Amino acid sequence: MRFTIFQESRKGAREVNQDRIAYTYSRETLLLVIADGMGGHVGGEIAAQIAVRLFIERFQQEAKPILRNPLKFVQDTMLRAHAALGSYANQFSMLETPRTTCVAVIVQGGVAYWGHVGDSRFYLLRQGRLIATTKDHSKVQYLVDQGVITPDEVVHHPDRNKIFSCLGGAADPVIDLSRRTPLSNGDLLILCTDGLWSVYPHREMATMLTSTPILSTGPKMMREAEARGGPEGDNLSAIVVRWGPETLADEPTTTDNLELGQFETQVESTLTLADRTGKDRDLSDDEIERAIAEIQATIQKYRK
Amino acid sequence: MPVTNQALPSGYALLNYRIDRQISRGGFSIVYRAFDETGQPVAIKEYLPSSLVLRTEGDVVRASSAENLTSFRYGMKCFFEEGRALAKINHPNVVRVLNFFRANETVYMVMRYERGRTLQQQIQMRQDQMSERFVRHVFMQLLNGLREVHTHKILHLDIKPANIYLRTDGSPVLLDFGAARQTLTTNRPKLAPMYTPGFAAPEQYRDHDRLGPWTDVYGTGASMFACLAAFAPQAADARVAEDHLVSAKKIWSGQYSDNLLEVIDWCLRLDPLERPQSVFALQRAIRDIAPVKRKLTFLGNLKRLLFSEIGA
Repeated sequence: MRFTIFQESRKGAREVNQDRIAYTYSRETLLLVIADGMGGHVGGEIAAQIAVRLFIERFQQEAKPILRNPLKFVQDTMLRAHAALGSYANQFSMLETPRTTCVAVIVQGGVAYWGHVGDSRFYLLRQGRLIATTKDHSKVQYLVDQGVITPDEVVHHPDRNKIFSCLGGAADPVIDLSRRTPLSNGDLLILCTDGLWSVYPHREMATMLTSTPILSTGPKMMREAEARGGPEGDNLSAIVVRWGPETLADEPTTTDNLELGQFETQVESTLTLADRTGKDRDLSDDEIERAIAEIQATIQKYRK
Repeated sequence: MPVTNQALPSGYALLNYRIDRQISRGGFSIVYRAFDETGQPVAIKEYLPSSLVLRTEGDVVRASSAENLTSFRYGMKCFFEEGRALAKINHPNVVRVLNFFRANETVYMVMRYERGRTLQQQIQMRQDQMSERFVRHVFMQLLNGLREVHTHKILHLDIKPANIYLRTDGSPVLLDFGAARQTLTTNRPKLAPMYTPGFAAPEQYRDHDRLGPWTDVYGTGASMFACLAAFAPQAADARVAEDHLVSAKKIWSGQYSDNLLEVIDWCLRLDPLERPQSVFALQRAIRDIAPVKRKLTFLGNLKRLLFSEIGA
């Protein structure tokens, strides 16, 4: 499995960043996930954090090394995150359940699968053209579907922030799942929150990223988008993956080991929460535990 | 006296092991001999970088500053890399990892305990020169282990006599992959790579993009050189500036087979591309060597001449 990955989350003009982004992979399977928390105080941040963590943790339990059913995995994890947010609110007697949007993409065997809740988006671009995307669970999208407003009016509509499906909250989430979508080398997979797509349309992303190294143009795009947001700018986040071997510019060490070891059952992870590359970051206690568990599993496996 | 990290005391109970004594101390770790619950000896490597003083008393490792903690945790990644790498390799000529665990706020790697001594000690102890047969025997087996390592796309990057252990039966074991991942930490001065002068290849000093199997080939050649010379070849960074290394062929001509000497010189080429490009290529070259070059006697010469004339 070869790919180049870029991810970044910026605060915009807000005090706190309620977006959370992460990716992780086993030798055979890649998970990308973005969540945009909602609500005042710390609720939104917590919600996004819980959703993303749950995805990473479940992935590492289940992708050994592949997920049996990627779409079911996405759906189940979202439902569990929804339940987890409910019990979290209960436990701390919160007046309002923390809520969050969520987009998760799985790539396995060269095929992409995704699911989403709310208005964080996934774009699949092939040779600069949008070949697949998610449809927001938002009031404005509904208005577009009904022909009341045009897609271009969405970003300025007064109700643009109203969404009718999310994780957490009273109502059960509506989870949209994709079909299995085979990828081609060079495909761009983009996950983003509304803070990015509302100021930076996918056509512009295509122009910006299609034929340039994403590791250098990705940050440029994010800076530009943040500037466009101005003094009212929302948090904005993106994960960009260019699929395929030839453009691989900064393959993480862990992938190297996985691929070249030519053995299967390891789950390796580069867990990156809300930072860009995670390369030079300290190990957390969780990561230490995980690394040890992984080494022990390998020792068992290769024991004569 | 500078403050150093305190080793765990004899008799200390660590998980289900009991520490016997400290065996060695390196830049990143302390190695102990210990016994497991069945009384079997094991070697336990404790991650404890000597550049960060983390334990002046007791058993728990404590970082003295936030910066130290960051460096400590960062270096731990390298320790995990070593564990990951070794866990996958089950080969008689590569040290075997038996367990890996966390305790005392640091991490430990348990390895099979081998009886014997390092090639370094062997070189220092010997009065007379090492026999060609011995050198061949040790390195052919060692290269089998190194080939297995490279098959897993891991470079050792610190091949030297002190990291080659000779069991009492004479078979070698490749030790200490600790340096293997240190190349990644160049932006952390406190954990900067520590290469062994004389055994590190020139590309390890500056050209990290050019590291490859040939880098370990250089270390192997330098180790063979040290077996013959009882000292290390000139350090590669100095050689790049001004090469004073006299070729093995020049020094030991007549005492060892030309081919062995040629192989050593081949491994020690400064340009990575001019060395054997794989362990396999190196092994083939060693195998191709006629083991002993017999000096022809007058009579033997005459016999050969006669035989060639009658076309036998």
